[in-house]
Amino acid sequence: MLNQSFNGGVVIDNPHPVDTVGIVSAPLPDKVVLPLQQRIGDEAIPCVKVGDKVLTGQVIAKTEDHFCVPIHASISGKVVSIDKQIIPHKSGLKSKCITIESDGKDQWAEYKGCGTDFLHCDQATMIEYIQSSGIVGLGGAGFPAHAKLEGIQDCHTLIINGTECEPGIMCDDALMQHHPREVIRGVEILLHICGAQRAIIAVEDDKQEALNSLLMYCHNERISIEQIPTKYTSGAEKLLIKALLDIEIPSGGFAIDTGVICQNVATTKAIFDAVVDNRPLVSRIVTVTGSGVESPNNYEVRLGASFEHIVSMSKPNTHQHTIRMGGMMMGVDVKTTSVPICKITNCIFVNKLETKPSTQECIRCGQCNQACPVDLLPQQLYWYAKSEDTDKAMDYNLADCIECRCCDYVCPSHIPLAEYFSFAKALHRKTTEDQYRTDIARERFEFREYRLERNKQERTEMMAAKKEELKKKMANDKVQKDKIAAAMARVKKTKKANDDA
Amino acid sequence: MMMHSNALNTNQIMRQVMYALVLGIGAAYYFFGWGVILQITLAVVTAVVVESAFLSLRKLPVKPAVSDGSAILSAILLAISIPSIAPWWIVVIGVAFAIIFGKQLYGGLGNNPFNPAMLGYAFLLISYPLQMTTWAGEFLGLSQVIDIIFNLTSVDALSGATQLDEVKTQLALGKVVAELDVHSISQAWINVGFLLGGLYLIVRKIITWHIPVAFITGMVVISSILYFINDQIYLPMQDHLMLGATMLGAFFIATDPVSASTTPKGRLIYGFLIGVLVIIIRVFGGYPDGVAFAVLLMNITVPLIDYYTQPKVFGK
Ligand code: SF4
Ligand code: SF4
Repeated sequence: MLNQSFNGGVVIDNPHPVDTVGIVSAPLPDKVVLPLQQRIGDEAIPCVKVGDKVLTGQVIAKTEDHFCVPIHASISGKVVSIDKQIIPHKSGLKSKCITIESDGKDQWAEYKGCGTDFLHCDQATMIEYIQSSGIVGLGGAGFPAHAKLEGIQDCHTLIINGTECEPGIMCDDALMQHHPREVIRGVEILLHICGAQRAIIAVEDDKQEALNSLLMYCHNERISIEQIPTKYTSGAEKLLIKALLDIEIPSGGFAIDTGVICQNVATTKAIFDAVVDNRPLVSRIVTVTGSGVESPNNYEVRLGASFEHIVSMSKPNTHQHTIRMGGMMMGVDVKTTSVPICKITNCIFVNKLETKPSTQECIRCGQCNQACPVDLLPQQLYWYAKSEDTDKAMDYNLADCIECRCCDYVCPSHIPLAEYFSFAKALHRKTTEDQYRTDIARERFEFREYRLERNKQERTEMMAAKKEELKKKMANDKVQKDKIAAAMARVKKTKKANDDA
Repeated sequence: MMMHSNALNTNQIMRQVMYALVLGIGAAYYFFGWGVILQITLAVVTAVVVESAFLSLRKLPVKPAVSDGSAILSAILLAISIPSIAPWWIVVIGVAFAIIFGKQLYGGLGNNPFNPAMLGYAFLLISYPLQMTTWAGEFLGLSQVIDIIFNLTSVDALSGATQLDEVKTQLALGKVVAELDVHSISQAWINVGFLLGGLYLIVRKIITWHIPVAFITGMVVISSILYFINDQIYLPMQDHLMLGATMLGAFFIATDPVSASTTPKGRLIYGFLIGVLVIIIRVFGGYPDGVAFAVLLMNITVPLIDYYTQPKVFGK
């Protein structure tokens, strides 16, 4: 067990725990939608046309850029369209996609890799297979795996990240429990490629089953398995390295600068498949969870299937839902479940609609800086971000904020701090670099919407209160008037009686 | 989506602080009687009225701001800092000043550089020194207090100066510390009450230990040095700790998060220097107690302290 850790972070229990972490194989989808724009690099260029028949695993689009990976058909069938579709991105924008309709046969294109005695393959071949199989970081980052492994010198430690990046996500846990052999073999492949003396698999201390199954298959003395405390942001690469090795990656630097390479467990397993068989990555394990589904679970599902395809298997309840891709902390909200699952979709949160608690002023209580895993002072950053004084915010190390939202989570005034920070960062980029002009426009637009929405809400509340008051006053007035009328009537009556007399 | 921890929200934090004040207030009531309660009531009513009026003037929603409890808390802190038999208009003016000049003119909660309660207190002390230093000498019943506070009877018969004041006067007359009876049962108990309340706040994680511990350390260090230099004219530290507004200041006033330093290291410096200043003002200054001025002085330095005590950022 470790003794070093990083400061801050927050302990959040899995909000929707399950008894046994399983993997359900989702049925073949009727159609898949495969975006051509990947997380990094240029948009891929299709090498099929509408009407073409394709096999599972066949390359359907690629780029010239060696940095990027090709895109494979994830089912066999017919290309029915190449056009713009909504993709799971917070902008809600459309992007060019290839849509394939299934023929129900799932016929695979041929593939052949190094085989199970892969150690005879040289590193270059392995890396080539990793690239041609389309492996990217499956932990959520989507960084091409081969790019991280090319031209490595002086790597002393390989870290395999088996921590779920966020509470509620269970797909890596499931993978370690059900595919421990592939994970361990994958680690051996990675050791072979990067030449490190040792590898550490990091598993959170609440994942005992995963630990046990890995231990059962791990007979390599170069590979050790370490438990780390279950707290949010342990999974972040830099913080994990700090916790395991007590090495602090310099601000603005990369893990490899200190001789460390980090890969996620799911990526490691995919690398195993890629090297042994050169089988393209056409599916992944996705967690479906949240207050909006009856039975949270993990699904092995083909890439490009709609969110709906597996959400429906988790028995969504009848309420209105919000949909979020990724974790509750760092995920992005998407508008519908018709968007396709992509390589970085580790989790789909389906939640009942909830009203957010209203935001109050910062009282400088300091909860946020105690929670910040990189030791920033969010309350100061907030002050300057709010007044758009980005220079001052940069002085307070705005650039080091990893937007993990630990600070939001603990803030008693419920301030969306990280949102302010990402806005301030974008604003700062704008003042330094013009190429981000479009980016900032979007951020600003979104943020403005948020502010307008908030103002509107406040105004409506105020109006409602005023109306209520007015109503009361009118009711009061009416009582008064009635009283006066009654008094007048009485006076009249007496007068009349007097007159009569 | 559950995006917030189950920890307290801002309104609940303010309420917890008020609960924590109960013991100290109870002790004050026990010794000084109904005046304590009456002053608090007057203060709270004034705070709500002034805050609401000001917010409506600024055309801001009244309810959320009033119900966050911060104005009420400031009012209570001010009310328990002033003599329980001060005339009614003292507390009304003080609270109004605190809310308007201490808070609202800066843009409301979270934007004020000074501790509003202490700003109000300092204003009163400078403007009405007589009313602000005449304390009840015994337990007073409700009707007696009403008579006094609303100016129906003269207070002379029932009042006296505070212990700190008394010490000062006696020392000025040439007595030495050993000849003085500086112990005050009432003040000791009130301090104990606030100390316990303060510990509750630390246990509940509403405040961190930094400011109170540094505050008390500062007092202990400087008063011990003085006592060591000359034990004839300077009080020993244990007397300082149990007199005046020490514990109220350490746990409830210096810890007001809005106007205090916000970095862990900064809070230590901030608390320590307030403790030092409190003693210096008590011993060398013209006023009986130093908490208010010490806090206000240190409020000015907060931006500087915060800037130079930023924690080391990961990877830097
Ligand atoms: S947690 Fe929220 S209220 Fe407290 S200091 Fe940070 S931003 Fe301000
Ligand atoms: S979002 Fe940024 S400031 Fe907030 S806790 Fe995470 S790293 Fe720190």
